[in-house]
Amino acid sequence: MLSGYWHFVPEVLVVGGALVALFGEFMPGRGRGAAYTAAALAGLAALLVTFGGTGGPMVFGQVEPDGIARFARAGVAGLTAVWALWVAGRGMPDERRRDAVALAMFAAAGGMLLCMAEDLIVMYIALELSTMPAYVLMGYRRGDVSGLEGALKYFLLAMLTSIVMLYGLSFLYGISGYTAFADLTLEGSGVLGLVAVLLTLVGLLAKMSAAPFHYWAPDAYAGAMPESVAFVSTVPKVAGIAVMARLLGAIAPEMPELVTVVALASAASMLLGNLAALPQSDLRRLMAYSGVAHTGYLLMALAPGTNAGYTAAVFYAVAYAVPSMAVMLVAAEEGTGLTDLAQLAARRPWLAWSTVVWLLSLIGIPPLVGFFGKLFLFGAAVDGELWVLVILGILTSVVSAGYYFRIVREMFFGEVVASQPASPVAEPRASAVALVLLLLATIAVGVGASPLLAGLGALLG
Amino acid sequence: MLPLLTTIVFLPLLGAVITALLPKERADLPRMVALVVSLLDLALVAWLVLRFDVAGGLQFIERAEWIPEAGIQYFLGVDGIALPLLFLSALLLPISILASWKVSERPGFYFTMILLLAVGMNGVFVALDFVLFYVFWELVLVPMYFLIAVWGGPRREYAAIKFFLYTLFGSVFMLVGILALYLHPAGGTFDMTALAGAGFPAGFQWWVFAAFFLGFAVKVPVFPFHTWLPDAHVEAPTAGSVLLAGILLKMGTYGFVRVSLPMLPEAAESWAWFVALLGVISIVYGAAVAFAQTDLKKLVAYSSVSHMGFVMLGIASATPEGLNGAVAIMFAHGVITGMLFLLVGMVYERTHTRMVAEISGLSKQVPVAAGMLAFASFASLGLPGLAGFVGEFLSLVGAWRSELVAPGYVIVAAVGVLLAAAYMLWMVQRCVLGVPSKAVEGISDLNRLEVGILIPLVVITVVMGVYWSSILRYVDPAVNALLASMGAV
Repeated sequence: MLSGYWHFVPEVLVVGGALVALFGEFMPGRGRGAAYTAAALAGLAALLVTFGGTGGPMVFGQVEPDGIARFARAGVAGLTAVWALWVAGRGMPDERRRDAVALAMFAAAGGMLLCMAEDLIVMYIALELSTMPAYVLMGYRRGDVSGLEGALKYFLLAMLTSIVMLYGLSFLYGISGYTAFADLTLEGSGVLGLVAVLLTLVGLLAKMSAAPFHYWAPDAYAGAMPESVAFVSTVPKVAGIAVMARLLGAIAPEMPELVTVVALASAASMLLGNLAALPQSDLRRLMAYSGVAHTGYLLMALAPGTNAGYTAAVFYAVAYAVPSMAVMLVAAEEGTGLTDLAQLAARRPWLAWSTVVWLLSLIGIPPLVGFFGKLFLFGAAVDGELWVLVILGILTSVVSAGYYFRIVREMFFGEVVASQPASPVAEPRASAVALVLLLLATIAVGVGASPLLAGLGALLG
Repeated sequence: MLPLLTTIVFLPLLGAVITALLPKERADLPRMVALVVSLLDLALVAWLVLRFDVAGGLQFIERAEWIPEAGIQYFLGVDGIALPLLFLSALLLPISILASWKVSERPGFYFTMILLLAVGMNGVFVALDFVLFYVFWELVLVPMYFLIAVWGGPRREYAAIKFFLYTLFGSVFMLVGILALYLHPAGGTFDMTALAGAGFPAGFQWWVFAAFFLGFAVKVPVFPFHTWLPDAHVEAPTAGSVLLAGILLKMGTYGFVRVSLPMLPEAAESWAWFVALLGVISIVYGAAVAFAQTDLKKLVAYSSVSHMGFVMLGIASATPEGLNGAVAIMFAHGVITGMLFLLVGMVYERTHTRMVAEISGLSKQVPVAAGMLAFASFASLGLPGLAGFVGEFLSLVGAWRSELVAPGYVIVAAVGVLLAAAYMLWMVQRCVLGVPSKAVEGISDLNRLEVGILIPLVVITVVMGVYWSSILRYVDPAVNALLASMGAV
């Protein structure tokens, strides 16, 4: 039973990074050195996961580092590394920087554990570990009332849904007598089983800001620092989708009604998210609703309950997270109002063009990573013959182009309203490297496709 | 041996990278780079045309695994249907670059966008893998968006985003069609040659045809999906209009010929009446609305809707004549409408107006420009002996002979020919003849560069009009092969 424990080395590295960041005061370079170290450790963890191979069920079947887990863990660790690298270069006053990095690293460790959870209790603990630090990150500016309000809203709703979920988990345990996913037997459990699963899904859906549990996201994001949003809106979503794929994979075959449930949440998220994003003038709100919409796309792939759908969803979770994090980091550098980006193309042409690439990837224009993600998503939905979802997905993708292009429009043709003083930049090179990494990930997976996608296929398989 | 098609497709990309990286101070460099690249590209395409074996079917094939896990290949090739369009694309590129010689606002950006556009335009006509096809198809959206939005007219931003969203709307449906074919047990591949004649069940074909129809019809554009076109044309800079009308619209009709007919033959048969109906409506509606236009550019834009209706009619007929005619119109319309947009642009540069009412007496003030405009108008209205006639005649013959298209459609379409003659001649009468108006007085005639841009188009219009087989010798074998594979309707 102890043989496979090296599979946990990446998580240990990430927790190590968190500890380094916590006690970073005693390190040379203070907070920045700690952030660099944490980034390096998280990056190393991502590489270890990627090249570490997969394994069967471990620790009495409570976790399973299989293909889906490997891909999602690599995504979580890699994105966290990039984020920490960006934070090392910019953002947040010094002593607060290492706190933020420490929180993010703890959340990442929870997320990585969540990606391979095969047990209700492990899932619950990992989910809490990955969201608890996020509450703090969202309310990070102590003096900011609206930020605290948003964070409080987030905290209360997340707590409420967690408790609802725990309630559901207790039923699941009661019905089947086991907590391992593999042993959950819901056959013949009737309405009670369905209610138990629904209660459980509420918790997961709320964490991923799926409609109709998305209300916290826009307010919480709009009050938070954009660099916090960059992390909280992306990394936990990857882990959440991974565990949801695992859970549904275990129970969906016994419960055909789940197709309808997930499909409804998907349809509601696509519609609400995309339509509500249209009039937003704050990038954080816009990306919050866009996040709701993308959760809808992800659920579209989960709905049919096929293996192809699960892998497509996990792939797209990362394909969404990369450009989405990048856009929020741009907002962190340039300001969160849509008009703050006015004439960015004239001021920083490379950044503006990179942002165009990220937005195009979010729309799903080939040959960027978002296109291949959507190709697989729609493929799963077409295969599952969920035509209503497919049509909705198509129509709302076009709507999404409408609001993403408002950003493009602003960057190229917007009028500068008030020139705001540029925030002091300590080491722009580190954050630039972080953004370049995100850009490469967006382009290279599509263009250099064969080896990369082959690798991804192998990772997921 | 250099992979010829890859070089043709990606040479403009190399040019785009170079123009993007050129120092901003040297404003004259980007256009030189763009011109050299586009002429090289044209030379390569000309070389390809010379070496093309008329009876050889699909040739210059390049095939490599791209994403083997998903069965996606890098697969290029040309046949007699794609060849004229590839040539047209390569021909209009240097012409539109020369037509933009005086662009002074951010020239590096401008020529980067033009060259990037060329990658997509060339690529669509030679891609034989569906995913690759889709990549090129979408690739044209972004550069065209910027061409309209940065260098366009007063309502450029609205027109640009409208163009983007409309075409995106259509192409996402196309993507679902592609996926449906891929996921169907009879399909299972993105290889477009293998999907042709794969024998999908008729009911399935019906739905997939609908999805592809939306994708292509928006691009063509067929009534009632055409509303983005006048806006885009009016606001776009001249080169943008030339490439939009000349190449981008052809991508839609090419899609029908390359995808809908061979892959979904039964559905094409059962949808034929609908395609023909929308084609005829486009012919008459486009012509009638063109009549009412006071803006020259809008007039040409609506005439495009009308001409593309003839293409749709020819495609719906699924006869050798009809399809030959469809491809012939695609080519001729690219050349002739290119000429018209260039001339409208040249007149606008001098008179600063495109209003028909404010332009008259061009023949007295600027005889060369007036002569060219009259010539292009005659070609556009389908004067026998010029290029426009070939395809319209053939597509009407094809539609008449076809069992899929009711004779009534052909009669109505023939009325459309009359309307085209009427609005074009009326325009010529008002603009070219008469006494020079205030806006026209004192303007200079075309300079040598401008005449030089137009001459190749004039020559092609005459040669094709007189010597039909100059183009049909390439198209006809491919069309016959296509119809044979459909089980010869």
